[in-house]
Amino acid sequence: MKQHLKGILDSYRQEDAHYDEVFQTSGEPKEHYRSIVETFNQFSLTDFERINNDVKTSFFNQGITFAVYAEDKKPDERIFPFDLFPRIIPSQEWMQLERGVIQRNKAINYFLDDLYHKKLILKDKIVPADLIFSSKNYLKEMVDFKPEGGIYTHISGTDLIKHTDGQYYILEDNLRCPSGVSYVLSNRVALKKSLFDLFTKLKTKTIYQYPEELLEILKSVKPKNTEVPTIVVVTPGMYNSAYFEHSFLAQKMGIPLVEGRDLFVEKNFVYMKTIFGPTRVDVIYRRVDDEFIDPLCFRKDSMLGVPGLMNAYRAGNVTLANAPGTGVADDKAVYHYVPDIIKYYLNEEPILNNVLTYHCEKESECKYVLENIDQLVVKPVDESGGYGITIGTTLTREQIEEVKVRIKSNPRKYIAQPIMSLSVHATFIEESKEFEPRHIDLRTFCLMGKDKEYILKGGLTRVALKKGNLIVNSSQGGGSKDTWVLD
Amino acid sequence: MLSRVANNLYWMGRYIERAEHFARYSRVQYFSSLDAPILKTYDRNFVLESILYMAGIFDMENITEKDVLFKIGLDLQNSNSIISNITFARENARGARNAISTDLWESINKYYHLVTSYPQDTYLSTGFYDFTQLILDQTSILSSKIYGTLMHDGEWAIILIGMYIERVIQIIRIINSKLHDIYKIEQAGHSVTEMSFEWTTMLRCMEAFDMNKKFYRTIPNREQVMEFLLLNPHCPRSIAYSLNGIRRYEEKISRNESRDSNTISFKIGKLVEQFRYLSFDEYKDDIYGLLNNTQDKVIEIGSEFEKKYLSF
Repeated sequence: MKQHLKGILDSYRQEDAHYDEVFQTSGEPKEHYRSIVETFNQFSLTDFERINNDVKTSFFNQGITFAVYAEDKKPDERIFPFDLFPRIIPSQEWMQLERGVIQRNKAINYFLDDLYHKKLILKDKIVPADLIFSSKNYLKEMVDFKPEGGIYTHISGTDLIKHTDGQYYILEDNLRCPSGVSYVLSNRVALKKSLFDLFTKLKTKTIYQYPEELLEILKSVKPKNTEVPTIVVVTPGMYNSAYFEHSFLAQKMGIPLVEGRDLFVEKNFVYMKTIFGPTRVDVIYRRVDDEFIDPLCFRKDSMLGVPGLMNAYRAGNVTLANAPGTGVADDKAVYHYVPDIIKYYLNEEPILNNVLTYHCEKESECKYVLENIDQLVVKPVDESGGYGITIGTTLTREQIEEVKVRIKSNPRKYIAQPIMSLSVHATFIEESKEFEPRHIDLRTFCLMGKDKEYILKGGLTRVALKKGNLIVNSSQGGGSKDTWVLD
Repeated sequence: MLSRVANNLYWMGRYIERAEHFARYSRVQYFSSLDAPILKTYDRNFVLESILYMAGIFDMENITEKDVLFKIGLDLQNSNSIISNITFARENARGARNAISTDLWESINKYYHLVTSYPQDTYLSTGFYDFTQLILDQTSILSSKIYGTLMHDGEWAIILIGMYIERVIQIIRIINSKLHDIYKIEQAGHSVTEMSFEWTTMLRCMEAFDMNKKFYRTIPNREQVMEFLLLNPHCPRSIAYSLNGIRRYEEKISRNESRDSNTISFKIGKLVEQFRYLSFDEYKDDIYGLLNNTQDKVIEIGSEFEKKYLSF
C-alpha cells in the first residue's frame, strides 16, 4: 500500500543521525506503527490540540503535579509533560528485553546476598573488593543479615536505551527506590480516555495489575510468624516530589500511607499510631532513602525516619522493601561488572548489552578518559536524577578543563562512556505545534518476591523535550509517553 | 486509621464547611445590603464591617469596598479568606490522599485549582456572585462525593464530625453577627416589614429561608427564626440538627463507650438532649447566653476529640 502522509505528522522531519523508532528511512512508518500513524493523521491540528489540553487538565485535576515554590506567592503547580503519541514495542522485541531484565536483576540479587555474606565474587576477584568497600552505599549493618526470602531488590528499575544500531543497551540499574511507575499507570488511563480509538487498532498488553502484583510481592516476604501482614508505604511526606506516586501506590494497593513520624519501635517491633492506639506493622515498602530511615543507625538529623527501625529489621520483626544497602550494586562503577556478575552467578551469557564503560579509578582507563573527554559522557557514580553528568560534545574548552580537575581530584567518583545515541521518537512539541524527533529511553519495572517475579509489560518511556537533549529525567525537563507492548 | 490521617480528615471537613458558610454569609450580606432598610440609618460600612467580622478582620481604617471583597475572597495573606480555607482543605486532603477516594480527591483538587486560578479582576468587578456560587456548587459536589464514594465507616465519620462541629460554630457566629445588626436597627426604630427583611437575611445566610417559609407560612419574625435556626431538628443548618450530626458520627468512632460523664459521647449527648427539650420561652431573654455557652461546649468537645483520637 502506498503511504500518503497527510495531516499532523506531515511536517515530521527525520534526522539521519539517530535511530527513529517510528519511521523507516524511506519516510514510511514502520509496520508496527502504521495504524497509529494513520489514526494520528486523521486529526486536525485543532482537534489534536484540544485533546492535548484536555489531557493536561485531567493530569492537573488528578494532582499529578510538582510544585515550584517562590517567595510570597502561592506555589506554582506544573504537570509532568505527557506526550500523546505512544511508544510501541513489538512482542518479540519485548520478550528479549523481559528475559534480559529478569536475568540481570536475579544476578544482582545474588550479588547483594554474596556481598553481605560470603563475598565469594570478591575472593574470586571478579569484582574488585576495593570498589565495594569504598562505596558509601555498602552498609555494615547488613553484613550477615539475611532478608526474608533472600530478597534484596523487591523493586528495581532498569533503564535502557536503543542505540543507532537498533540494539537495546542497559543505561543504568536503579535498585533503591526507583520511581515513575505511577506515571506509567496514569499515562495509560489518560491515553485510553483521550484516544480510545488507538486501542481498537492495536492490541496492547495491560499494566493495571502492577499494584496488585506489588502487594503480592510484599506479602510474600512477610516476617515469619505473621499470618496476615500489615503492610504500609512509607513516604517522606507530601512535600516530597514523588508524593503523588507514594499516595497513588498506597491507594491502589489499599494499604496505609505513613510517614516516619506515624511509626515507632518498641521492643524491636514496629507500630503505627492509629486513632485506637498502636497497630503492628510487618512489611514496609519504604520510599525513604537508606540514610534517612533510622536516625539511631544512619543520619542522626533525619526527621523522616523511625528510631530503632534497623534493630527491628535485624530482629526479623519487620521487612523493608527494598532492603537497605542495595545502593552498592547500582553504583555506576559496579555497572561495568554486571555482565561478569551475570556469568558468575547464573552461568549464562548476558542477554542485554552493557554500554562500554571506562573507570577513572583504573589508571590506564582514566588516562583515556582525560584525553577524550570531548567524545565521552562523564558520570558521577553515586548521583541520580541526571545530576553531574557532562556530555563531551556540548562542552567548551574551559568546561573540559573543569571536568578534568573534578575527575583527577576523585577518580573513584567518575566513570565515562561513549556518547550513546538515544533513539528518537515523534513527539508533539507545543511551541512549534508540530511533531518532532526527540530522544527517548525506557525504564522497566521488575518485582521480585519469595519465589515470585513480575515485570511490568512496557515501562516508562521518558522523552527529552528539549531539542537535541539526551537527558530525559523529569528534573531536567523531561516528559513521558505511554508505552505499549504489543500482544 | 492513622491519627495523623484522621487529623487531616477532620480538618479537611472543617475547612470545607467553613469556606461554604463564609461564602454564603458574605454573599447574602453583601447583596441584601445593596437595598437594605438599614441604609436609612447606617452607611454601607456597617454592612462591610459585619462581613469583615466574620473574616476575623476588625481593623476598618481606610478600607475600600474592593479591599473588603479581596480580603474575604482571594487574599492568601488572610488565613480566614475563602481561598485560604480551600487551600487548607486541599492540603489536608493531600495528606490523607490514600484514605479518601480518588473521586473525592480529584473533586477537592479541582475545586482548589478553580478557586486559585479565579481571575482577580473579574472577581472584584463583576464576579463576586459567580465566585461565591462556585464555592457553593463545589461544596455540593464534595458533599455528594463524601456520601457516595467513601465507605460509611471511620474515615467518613471523622470528616463529618469535623463538618458538623464547624457548622455549629459557624451558625452561632452568623446568628450572633446578624443579631447584632438587628439590635442596631431595632434601636433606630424600624417597621415590622423592615425588620422582617433582616430576619429573612439571617435565614438566607443559612440557606433556610424557603424551609422556614414552608414550615411557618408567615413572614419571618424573631420568635420563629430563633426557634427554627436553634431547635428545628429537620432544618439541616439548625444547631439542633448539627449537634445530632456530631453525636451520630461520634458514636461510630467511640463505639460502645461506658456511661462515664467525662467521655466525649456523654457531653455531646447531654448537649443534644438539652436542645431537644428546649422551648423558645426558656431562652428568649438571653439568646446570646445560650449561643455562647453552646459554642464553648462544642469547641471543648472538638478539642477533646482531637486530643483523644487525632494526636497520638
